[in-house]
Amino acid sequence: MRRLLALLLMLAPAAQADVAVVVHAKNAVAALSPKEVQDIFLGRKRTFPDGRFALPVDQSSPLRAEFYQILTARPLEQINAYWARLLFSGQASPPRQLPDDAAVLKMVRENEGAIAYVDPKHVDHSVRLLLLLKP
Amino acid sequence: MEKIISWLANGGRAFALGLGLALAAPPAFAIDWSFKAFGTMAAMGTDTGQIGFRRDYTQDSGATSAWRGDIDSRLGLQLDADLSREFHAAVQWVARNHAGNFFEQNLEWAFVRWRPRDDLDLRLGRLGFDAFLLSDYRNVGYAYPWMRPPAEFYAPIFPYHFDGADIAKKFNVGEGWLTLKGYAGHSTVDVLEQSGANVNELEGLLFGGNLVYESGNWRARLGYAQIQPLKNLPQRTTGILSNPLVQAVWPGAQSIVDELSIEGKPLHFSSLGFAYDDGTWPVQAEAAYIDSNFASSLPSIATGYLSVGRRFGGVTVYSLFGVAESLNRRVQVAEVPAQAQVLTDLRNSIEQSLNNRGVDQMSASLGGRWDVYDNIALKAQWSHFWLGSNGTLFWLEPKPSLPDQVNLWSFGVDFVY
Repeated sequence: MRRLLALLLMLAPAAQADVAVVVHAKNAVAALSPKEVQDIFLGRKRTFPDGRFALPVDQSSPLRAEFYQILTARPLEQINAYWARLLFSGQASPPRQLPDDAAVLKMVRENEGAIAYVDPKHVDHSVRLLLLLKP
Repeated sequence: MEKIISWLANGGRAFALGLGLALAAPPAFAIDWSFKAFGTMAAMGTDTGQIGFRRDYTQDSGATSAWRGDIDSRLGLQLDADLSREFHAAVQWVARNHAGNFFEQNLEWAFVRWRPRDDLDLRLGRLGFDAFLLSDYRNVGYAYPWMRPPAEFYAPIFPYHFDGADIAKKFNVGEGWLTLKGYAGHSTVDVLEQSGANVNELEGLLFGGNLVYESGNWRARLGYAQIQPLKNLPQRTTGILSNPLVQAVWPGAQSIVDELSIEGKPLHFSSLGFAYDDGTWPVQAEAAYIDSNFASSLPSIATGYLSVGRRFGGVTVYSLFGVAESLNRRVQVAEVPAQAQVLTDLRNSIEQSLNNRGVDQMSASLGGRWDVYDNIALKAQWSHFWLGSNGTLFWLEPKPSLPDQVNLWSFGVDFVY
């Protein structure tokens, strides 16, 4: 019975976990709301509230689907369709995608304007935790 | 005004050309390049051999009961370059069925964008013609649920692009964003005559503007555009009608020459559209009035569509209803006074062709989109068209005993990369 239960748990879709939104350690911007994070990641806004240039960094890992699901309640294909419209009509380009949390955190450490999302367990003092997105 | 547009157009064209060269020989400083592609592989067929279906005026063949793959299929390639934080350049070329010059006509975008502030964009070069909601990305099937943009609405928008400039300013209004955009330039489009006999070059100055408000799940749009033809289409009959001998016998002949001319007669596109998408219900509708002063080529048209869809996980099912009706008065061609059978025949054939360029059609479609992967979608659509007696201008090569109803089936795969 216990085995069956374990098997069922494995088959069920992974329970959604929190996603951490991080910025450069020196970024002094006040807390952002989920809507403000959404505006930056969907290319509607290109600056932080203090007027400084924001550089959103995306991921090509499975965390990407979770991040957009929590932030916009949309599956990835709808996010991709949204970007196809903007990109191929010359309005805006989607954020650069890096392979995983390690690459993303390296990018955030090296760019003062960077804003990214990672698994909360990978957040350390080298970056600043701005917002914890909960499903 | 015309001088300014033509100056912008020349600048835009020179820029588009220069950009091609510049991208071929990149400068030494660091440029962030990205290459993207989109495409559709599709097939369609109808239940009639008497008339051919095409997506819009720019295509040089139509689907009949003999199935075709080239009406909806295309491949788009785009190269983007971030030159600096403020400057961006892009070139897009789309391989698709297009009348006339395959390479030049399918160069859709080639521009440099200057973004001096977060909320202001200026672009110069070859740019998409942003007349209606979908008109500047209608090649990108992955970005919309249907097989193709609603036929009644998008078939008459013959320019896909123009050479010139546009400016867009964004404002934060309430919970959403208001974008104000203006553009002007020069466009040259190769179109096939409905009879299929000749490819004509439509050359004109165009300008327009629109207001888009986006908030949450909503997008609303108000737009206006104008095209001013710069030269007349070649008309075989014009030479005969302008002949002094003919005009001596038939004084009304000159009025037909005037009727057939399109030069300097503006075409106005006014439209209102909205789109709603809460993730489960994608709903979209547009209404437009195309006011034409050259009924000899394109009548004035009132058109609209409504689409309602429902998503079930990765599967979207949708219905689409579209209508287009031409509103021009019946053209009365001057009578031939003398007993000259040749001229009477000519007069009658001109009157018939002038009054045969109507649009009178409706369609209802049912379709589905299945997102099999996060950048690949399978689509299928069935459309049923009702064609009025003189209402087939959007279609190609009509033959006698036209059907008044046509079924169209299509299947395809869309992707972005």
